Amino acid sequence: MKFKIVLLAVAATGLFAAHAGAQSFAITNAKIVTVSGPTIESGTVVVRDGLIAAVGADAKAPADAQIFDGTGMTVYPGFVDALTNVGIQPRTAAAAPPGVVATQLTPQANSNYPVGLRPEVIAIDELRGGDAQFETVRNAGFTTVVTVGRLGIFNGRSAIINLAGENVSGMIVKSPFAEHISFTTVGGGVYPGSLLGTFSALRQMFLDAQRLQEIQKMYAANPRGMKRPDADASLEALFPVINREVPIVFNANREIEIVRALDFAKEFNLKAMIGGGQEAWKVADRLKAQDVPVLLSLNFPKRTTAASPDADQETMDILRFRAETPKTAAKLQQAGVKFAFQSGGATTLLDFFTNAGKAVENGLSRDAAIRSMTLGSAEILGISDRLGSIDTGKIANLAVVKGDVFSKDRFVSSTFVDGKPFEQKLVTPSTAAGRPPTTTSPGAIARVGGNYSITIEVPGQQLTGTMALTQQAGVITGSLQTQLGTSPIKDGKVTADGFSFAATVEFGGTQVEMHVKGTVAGNQVSGTMDSPQGTVSFTGKRNP
Amino acid sequence: MKTLTSIFIVLLLGLATLAQTRNEVLIKNATVLTAIHGTLENTDILIRDGKIAKIGKNLAAGGSAKIIDATGKFISPGIIDCHSHTMMDAINEGSLSVTSMTRIRDVLNPTDIAIYRALAGGVTTANLLHGSANAIGGQNSTVKFKFGHPIEDFMIPDAPPGIKFAMGENPKRSSQTFQPGQTPRYPRTRMGTLEVMRDAFVRARDYKQAWDDYKAKKTKVPPRRDIELEPIVEILEGKRLVHAHGYRSDEHLNLMLLADEFGFKVATLQHGLEAYKIAPEIARRGTGVSIFADSWSYKLEAYDSIPYNAYILWKNGVVVSINSDSDERMRRLNLDAAKMMKYGGVPEEEALKMVTLNPAKQLGIDKRTGSIEVGKDADIVIWSAHPFSVYSHADMTLIEGDVYFDRSNDIQKRPEIAKEREALEKMDINKAPASGATSPRIPSEKRTEERDEAEYGDNR
Repeated sequence: MKFKIVLLAVAATGLFAAHAGAQSFAITNAKIVTVSGPTIESGTVVVRDGLIAAVGADAKAPADAQIFDGTGMTVYPGFVDALTNVGIQPRTAAAAPPGVVATQLTPQANSNYPVGLRPEVIAIDELRGGDAQFETVRNAGFTTVVTVGRLGIFNGRSAIINLAGENVSGMIVKSPFAEHISFTTVGGGVYPGSLLGTFSALRQMFLDAQRLQEIQKMYAANPRGMKRPDADASLEALFPVINREVPIVFNANREIEIVRALDFAKEFNLKAMIGGGQEAWKVADRLKAQDVPVLLSLNFPKRTTAASPDADQETMDILRFRAETPKTAAKLQQAGVKFAFQSGGATTLLDFFTNAGKAVENGLSRDAAIRSMTLGSAEILGISDRLGSIDTGKIANLAVVKGDVFSKDRFVSSTFVDGKPFEQKLVTPSTAAGRPPTTTSPGAIARVGGNYSITIEVPGQQLTGTMALTQQAGVITGSLQTQLGTSPIKDGKVTADGFSFAATVEFGGTQVEMHVKGTVAGNQVSGTMDSPQGTVSFTGKRNP
Repeated sequence: MKTLTSIFIVLLLGLATLAQTRNEVLIKNATVLTAIHGTLENTDILIRDGKIAKIGKNLAAGGSAKIIDATGKFISPGIIDCHSHTMMDAINEGSLSVTSMTRIRDVLNPTDIAIYRALAGGVTTANLLHGSANAIGGQNSTVKFKFGHPIEDFMIPDAPPGIKFAMGENPKRSSQTFQPGQTPRYPRTRMGTLEVMRDAFVRARDYKQAWDDYKAKKTKVPPRRDIELEPIVEILEGKRLVHAHGYRSDEHLNLMLLADEFGFKVATLQHGLEAYKIAPEIARRGTGVSIFADSWSYKLEAYDSIPYNAYILWKNGVVVSINSDSDERMRRLNLDAAKMMKYGGVPEEEALKMVTLNPAKQLGIDKRTGSIEVGKDADIVIWSAHPFSVYSHADMTLIEGDVYFDRSNDIQKRPEIAKEREALEKMDINKAPASGATSPRIPSEKRTEERDEAEYGDNR
């Protein structure tokens, strides 16, 4: 008898769990852009147990389904950002307690290679689970992203994740998806310290990986009389890349960078992709011939420097580059080069859709634009059998959009990630989709003046410094002091949650213009420093 | 059958005519400075498929040939700069003392506007070198300035590969400022620099031995391919040219002694401001010298030079070239060559050779370029006046028969480009942001690459 009760209890728990998991939803009376087939002008999408259970003009909402009235809305497959660093935690813990060096918190990596040349780095180790952190991205309509860090020559191995889930394992769609490379340096006076060295170091590593794999096979076949080969985790991480089992994404925007990437891929017979590809149209023939898809950045180049009569004119090359970039997608489509849209490190996700709209204005078909952020992406990422379109049996990743998806008045009223709904309330017209809510009431000016001790995360090393900020109403003056010297700050302003200013530092014999943005919370400060050489982050605290 | 044969013959004839008229350029009635067989007055040059086909008077060309009237103008071979860092997105890998694994080919940028400006100065070919921050630097690229073409077209297919070596203040980092916590790099002295070189050759010899043993099946496991040592093995095998940056004659002499020890020849001594002191020693080894025309005293080890350097070297039978080491000076190498007539009295043709045939010899490409001779590549400059005159400018620069710079065309296009600029600048995307902008760089262009400034700098 007792035994029976236990059984019953187990069964009940099981039932309950099954019931919770099987919760179903139906979006009714909506326009449905299935992408894989014709658009349904008015129909129903039924979601059950994380999957699309039914879709069609005649599909019926089940009795137990929670109904979302889709009148006036359009349902798209959840949008895919084909390259981002969403969810990746900085490699050194920013929230280190006082007195603890941040590096002490990260496990010691036993690599023979410097930080930045470690292909074994894997995004899922740097991800944290939890729905909340992805709210902003989801509210813009994204349900799936390729995410990987941006530091180093080897950015590491990326993951394709769905943007909801309480733990990382539940979020992963595919890991590793690809190895990622940036043509940068490791810095800190360490080889490779220039683009010259970057290519040589990569070339030697790929040759070494080829040999290690060969020798490990020889040893496995007959270890007698043979020196045991190294178990080198860095080189071993490259085996699937040289075997063409895992693609390699080269971050390259300008024509010559893409050409270099294609040459390198050819040299080692790699399954390559281009990340960025702003000038990819200039090498469309080669991309097509080598069957290299482009994860095409929608972060179009913008002029960031102020006008000044004393400055030299901008070069024609730069002026033309900015003008031509919105036309890239259409030209790639014409040439038959596969591409998927990605945010390209854009500071606001609104740019993603607005700039996709600009690509449409410049000759890309609307359908192709939608495809390049849904099914087309999924095909390139190798996951089109499970998501990317609204089809029965596929993962229920959906974006419910009010208004034209490419227009500024677009509003994503809800997203479904693995069948889980996330609703967004339209508060005021000014709180557009994708913009994180600000808690500061307008008119109130944050108090950000003071002396800050900061740590700057330069790849391969840490710089420490201080910022002395004097605030007068909304204006900031003062100086930035680092090992590179002291620089007065220019254009200092108080922002909604912190400050921004520009400074010039001397580095390696050249003057580097930096644009600094900081967020102040209590006495904690964090932010970024943008320069033509790239973006680094910093953290620190205000000294009492 | 007969009909078939006649059709065949007609076809063949047709093809032959096609071949004859294909890609012909006829330059008429110029004063031709051949840089090998003297100066020819009122002379025509017929170019066919990129090669010089005929040189003579009253030449005829096929109907479709492009005719260039050069009456009153001067023609010289395309200028060759034996020491340049143009069109490179990086110059120095400054982290190590031996960076022979680096390849200039990896970082070339064919869109660099400096290429077009060099063409406007009559330069068609350059030796693109790694900087001089290291005892043994990176692998060079010998290129033709085919501006507008993809990078692979720039490479001269049969140019022997080369490599940069450096001695003196640059590799020992005497001007380096150290960042906090940075350890000074070995070597710190001139003797250390030579030791680094010797050590590299010894390592390369061992490396070659390991591969030879493996190929002879004496060992079972293939050795590791080492891209640092591979090019050094090529030096030992005489397949790779050494271009050695240095100032002091004692150092250049030491390097040549080291080369004697390891059984190779140094291709060029670069800069070599004191080379006149060891001219016979250089001549005996068949080593070339590539110098500045008349600049020195810009650093401590560059004081003991004289403008007669080229003359003395030439007198001693050394192959001398004048180089620029600068995007700006590259555009007036013709005038640097002219100066050699003033200092010591180098004959006109010998002076011209110093920026044409001699650098071609030093780079191992004299079979195809460097002089106006039948069978060579049609790398040709048409000058408005004698190229040694300060009043002359290049009117047209041709590489392998194709025009890469045409002054009249350039002047014609300027209003068009100005209009395009105006339109581009009006676009929203090119307008300066209203707020949050970074300050512009004023002035934006720092004159680097002057003399050897760019060479010892840290990584770029």
